[in-house]
Amino acid sequence: MAWLSSFILAHQGDAADPVLLHWIKERLDQIFGSGPWVVVAIMGIIIISIPIFIIVVYLIQSDRRSVYGPPEPDDVPDLRKQERVP
Amino acid sequence: MQADQETKKPLYYGWYVCAATLFIGFVAVGARNSFGVFVVPMSDEFGWNRFTISVAASLGVLVNGVSQPFFGRIFDRTGGRKLILVSLVVLGGATAMLALTFHILFLVFMFGVVLSMAQSGPGPSNTAALMARWFRRRRGTAISINSAAVSLGGMIMVPLSMFLLQATNWRIAWLGLGIIVLCSLPLALVFLRERPEQKGLYPDGDPAPSKDGSEANQVDAVGPLEVERWQDSFRTAPIWQMSGSYFVCGTTTFVMSVHFIPFAIEDRGVSGATAATIFGYMMFLNIFGALGAGVLSDKLGGTKNWLALAYSMRGIAYLMLLTVDSVLGLWIFATIAGFSWVATPVLTSSLTADVYGVKALGTISGFTFMFHQFGGFGSVLLAGLLFDITGNYTLPFALVGALLLPAAISAFSIKERKYSARYQNLAPTAAAGD
Repeated sequence: MAWLSSFILAHQGDAADPVLLHWIKERLDQIFGSGPWVVVAIMGIIIISIPIFIIVVYLIQSDRRSVYGPPEPDDVPDLRKQERVP
Repeated sequence: MQADQETKKPLYYGWYVCAATLFIGFVAVGARNSFGVFVVPMSDEFGWNRFTISVAASLGVLVNGVSQPFFGRIFDRTGGRKLILVSLVVLGGATAMLALTFHILFLVFMFGVVLSMAQSGPGPSNTAALMARWFRRRRGTAISINSAAVSLGGMIMVPLSMFLLQATNWRIAWLGLGIIVLCSLPLALVFLRERPEQKGLYPDGDPAPSKDGSEANQVDAVGPLEVERWQDSFRTAPIWQMSGSYFVCGTTTFVMSVHFIPFAIEDRGVSGATAATIFGYMMFLNIFGALGAGVLSDKLGGTKNWLALAYSMRGIAYLMLLTVDSVLGLWIFATIAGFSWVATPVLTSSLTADVYGVKALGTISGFTFMFHQFGGFGSVLLAGLLFDITGNYTLPFALVGALLLPAAISAFSIKERKYSARYQNLAPTAAAGD
């Protein structure tokens, strides 16, 4: 039944294979070598920077959106009400 | 002045929706994929053996697969925004609650049922359905960006969990992961919208169609098989062709996720670190495979041809794995298969939307995803069983690899030009395979 339990654990994600996890950790330890908190902080910053980047781009573009204002809602048909092609 | 304004056209809002779902998929998949990291410390503390804790994970696999069509149905009826927001709250809460684990039944219920079910909300089939509403011409590209989030989530969130665990303990690490999942809520709240019409836009950010109807063709194109009810799709051939090949996709990817490293170590005699390196390389390549498949199918058309090519490539990879009896065979397999790994979900989702429209897409994609999961689950069990009987992986790998030929034929024989909305209202021309 060993293969069954290994499947169940590995299935949760490809990267979650125990051998692969150990290897990844060793490589990251070699790269950073500064203790786990430093790595946690770096990865945390990477993760948090993604939504911040999206919001910043959205705010930067607000001027352009106001110039190109959206068309009147009446001019935009609701595509859900499309007729079927005969 | 006019030209200046043209260059400063604002980014289409659909890309913000795409970016938001990318981040949501990234944290949602990453949190769930991190389960493997917690197995050892939790087992040590509670004295569970490996199989006991596996029950929670195995239940999660089934719950996630079976619940997908139901969540797809909710997506179609109530909309993706509400579904994803509620699912994220439950997912984040359940992840954080795992810090309170005191009994195996608590873990089984919280991870195997609550968390795994909640993960279906922002799952790939629903986010792909949302992308299909916002994009038509660049549908494949948008879906591929979302699919890449799954790989990125595994690559970043899982190592983060490992170091968090090392720095603290498993309870704080679960709590931290839950907080990260909840961090995606503001993004979902701000950016997720159901359709471009809600923002006064057209799909892809295209301009309003001209009154003479010449440009309306692109916006209003509807395929002859577009359905209002998901049940209707299962009375047509393409859904069975796609589901059949998607079943094989699950069969051939899951079996490798589990058995590739043992095969490389035991049958090919490489070290565990080398096996892990090759597998990690393959997972890295799948990001490019997914993005490439989406962009190429959008630019050049012929989605079903790319889908057939992806299955064919994977078939060749399997053949090389079994015939090149050295470490070189492993590297060749990883290179060829890596590009096709996530390309098939991207192309299948895009083609499903093109053929059946977006009205019942959440449910339809949920069903195809369920076939994919069932294929994976069955193949891994079969491979394990055959390994126990024969003592090696040759027979199970040959069997699942052989399925890729009918999968490629099934994909190639889809009458895309006849049924896909992309080809409606276009002058009829010959298409390969149609």
